[in-house]
Amino acid sequence: MSARVWARRYGALMRNAWMVDLQYRASIVLWVLWGVMEPAIALGIWWSIAGTGSVGGYTRTDFARYFFALTLINQLTIAWDSWYLDRWIREGDLNFKLPRPLHPVHEAIADNIAYKARSAGTLLLIWVVVSVAWPVVRLPFAPKTFAVTAVAVVLAAMLRFLISFTTGLLAFWTTRATSIMELHAGISLFLAGRIAPLSLLPPVVAGVASWLWFPYMLAFPVDVLTGATTGPAVWAGFRGQLIWIAIWLVLCRTAWKAGIKRYGAAGG
Amino acid sequence: MRGPGRSRPAAVLGALWKLNAAEELQYRANFVASFASTVFYLFTALLTLDLFFSHATTLGGWDFWEVVVLLGVFNALSGLVEAILRPGIGDLAAQVRSGNLDLVLSRPVDAQVFVSFRHLDLWRFTDILLGLGVSTYALLHLGRFPGAGRILVFLVTLVAAAFVVYAIWVILMSLAFWFVSVENIATLFDAVFEGARYPVSAYPAALRFLFFYLLPIAWTTTIPASALTGRLSLATGIVAGLVGVGALVFSRLLWRAAIRRYTGASS
Amino acid sequence: MSAAIAATELSKSFQVKVRDSGLSGALRALFRPKYREVKAVTDVSFAIEPGEIVAFLGPNGAGKTTTLKMLAGLLYPTHGSVQVVGFNPWTGGSAFKRRITLVLGQRQQLVWDLPPVETFVLNRAIYDIPDADYKERLDELTRLLDLGAVLDKPVRQLSLGERMKCELAAALLHRPSVLFLDEPTLGLDVTAQEAIRRFLLAYRDRYGATILLTSHYMQDVTALASRVLMINRGRLLYDGALEALVAKIAQAKRLEIVLQRDVGEDALRRFGEVKSHRFPNAVLETPREHAAATSARLLAELPIADISITDPPIEEVIQRAFALGAEGEAP
Repeated sequence: MSARVWARRYGALMRNAWMVDLQYRASIVLWVLWGVMEPAIALGIWWSIAGTGSVGGYTRTDFARYFFALTLINQLTIAWDSWYLDRWIREGDLNFKLPRPLHPVHEAIADNIAYKARSAGTLLLIWVVVSVAWPVVRLPFAPKTFAVTAVAVVLAAMLRFLISFTTGLLAFWTTRATSIMELHAGISLFLAGRIAPLSLLPPVVAGVASWLWFPYMLAFPVDVLTGATTGPAVWAGFRGQLIWIAIWLVLCRTAWKAGIKRYGAAGG
Repeated sequence: MRGPGRSRPAAVLGALWKLNAAEELQYRANFVASFASTVFYLFTALLTLDLFFSHATTLGGWDFWEVVVLLGVFNALSGLVEAILRPGIGDLAAQVRSGNLDLVLSRPVDAQVFVSFRHLDLWRFTDILLGLGVSTYALLHLGRFPGAGRILVFLVTLVAAAFVVYAIWVILMSLAFWFVSVENIATLFDAVFEGARYPVSAYPAALRFLFFYLLPIAWTTTIPASALTGRLSLATGIVAGLVGVGALVFSRLLWRAAIRRYTGASS
Repeated sequence: MSAAIAATELSKSFQVKVRDSGLSGALRALFRPKYREVKAVTDVSFAIEPGEIVAFLGPNGAGKTTTLKMLAGLLYPTHGSVQVVGFNPWTGGSAFKRRITLVLGQRQQLVWDLPPVETFVLNRAIYDIPDADYKERLDELTRLLDLGAVLDKPVRQLSLGERMKCELAAALLHRPSVLFLDEPTLGLDVTAQEAIRRFLLAYRDRYGATILLTSHYMQDVTALASRVLMINRGRLLYDGALEALVAKIAQAKRLEIVLQRDVGEDALRRFGEVKSHRFPNAVLETPREHAAATSARLLAELPIADISITDPPIEEVIQRAFALGAEGEAP
């Protein structure tokens, strides 16, 4: 398949995703509000705990910067494909997509790119406004850091997409795929840094996390942006992201092949 | 079924609940799954508390086991939401979209009651028991198990808290008439209600203000938990009761306005 | 001429979990599941030539949709083989998928919130249709299906009939040579149904496409299909022309008469079974062999204004055929 054909396909898919998205403007507002609540609550607690001192090296303002960065980066990397796939498989929408000469994963990828591009614009605006209103979260203007963060964010988004898509494929085997997704989300609350910076976790837990993919989903790009991770640790982080992307890519392809075979045996 | 003179909604609800019970008993696998899920969330909640308390000795003046009491109350209220309210609001979104709501509105039952309580997820009532169980254990651990008087106050404040939670949902359902994708509103409630896991005094001033006056979850878990642990003053308790009733009235008015607007009737 | 669609001893069975009732049964099913084999399709063989329009008839659960899914490549057969335009549907890949289209009556591929034309543009990209061809085909489909007014309205604002027509247009932009249509006229009003039937015939005449459709509407079958495949309980009961089926099964003829003066029911009953009697019309049924003779007698003995000899309604014939099939007699 030539590049031109693929460019056209993605162009059309993303254009459609963008247009559908525009129709639900109210949802976008609610969506942003939703993304803010969890980090805001966590920040509230840590802010009180830190008081005028510090916790594990984090002062109040450090926490504020961490959770603000987390809010932005979470919106830029979160993937919902597990839920969509689960529905596609259970409700037979897959019967539509399979007879077309386009692998359904492309539709999912195009959707993600379109929505994240839209989010990125909104979030940039919010970041500027909040930085003006609340100097605490102002991050130093460092183009190099931003560029490195951008790479980490893109890799994190790819990783989360692969994880989301693969867990969605579990719907080929069980009606309880959503439970497994919830389990994963529950674990990522700790190990991906959503409830606290990873350095505040008990050392054993943080150790376990470093052997798994969770930190690379969210905590790593956040730490890059806030400056908590610098120098060689950044390269180590990139390595980790790439390794886990490769692993989940293999898992994804294997799950798809096996899942389709099962679908062809058992029907929708 | 019911004696004469009972209001119609109760009779209708009774019939619906019997039907629901018959259906739900068939879905025992669902029970195991949802019970496991609740236990898992309780477990993660305790881990989170453990994390906070590894870096602090109190949370807004509450020590660990007191916060666990509050966690149990949170679980009980969540269970109420899952059992009674969430199934209904999913229906409402679909009905508004498909236009089937007109059918509901034409029936001689109060639409709000009907929509709120129509579907029950009975097995979620175990969440309530589990939550209360957790609170009981924590109270025993504290050695401050409340006497009959305090338990009574607790029940009253719990009911008031349930009113507030219900009122928030009614407001959200009313919003369904304006915003079509109400499932997002439901997840928004989840995200906001998460703040009720911790005593409101644990938050900085800005969030405290938010949770008392704008997104009134401060009135949901902190107050009943305070009653159990003996922190509740009479004045606050009375205000909580009033807030509960007030919330109910306000939400009812909003719902009526939303329905009027939906059916195009003039106010 | 090699067949467009060829099925050879096509069979499909599913393994269905069997679960005892009760909590202990549920637990047992979790750890040591028992399976029961359900034979959805058994030994179905047929060959469809290019350009044929074939109707797939059968009650719900008969195996129609399962067979259709195997032809479209969504399921793979347990036994036997199937070839569609030279491909094995299951392994055919993109090359195969460009030659076919699948339209499912109850669900749709049109993007709900956008005008149909956006889905068309998407399909142009997916199937890699050259711009000039796309424009030409879009114009033609718009003309044939009368879509001018609806192309730019969001799909959710269209009526069911308009949606179905757009659905068909979207499905045919890549000019497939094989069309699988599952209940394409379901729920549509008469005008829309007729429009779609006319369109499908025109499309076949123009491009020699092979069309396999399932339907519950007899008018679809009589207007479109030159051939019917009857399936019941997973087995092929009949494969052939509709008229031949009617001739075989319909052992009676209908005499539709218009009376000048009303006569008593007894009078009518002397000539055959009275199917309906509402002055001035009446319908009698007599065995096929006697139809001519009976009508002659009717004309002689009763005040008849008009008389015609017809076959019983197709529905009855089909129902009878299925009933016979169920009893084990092939029609």
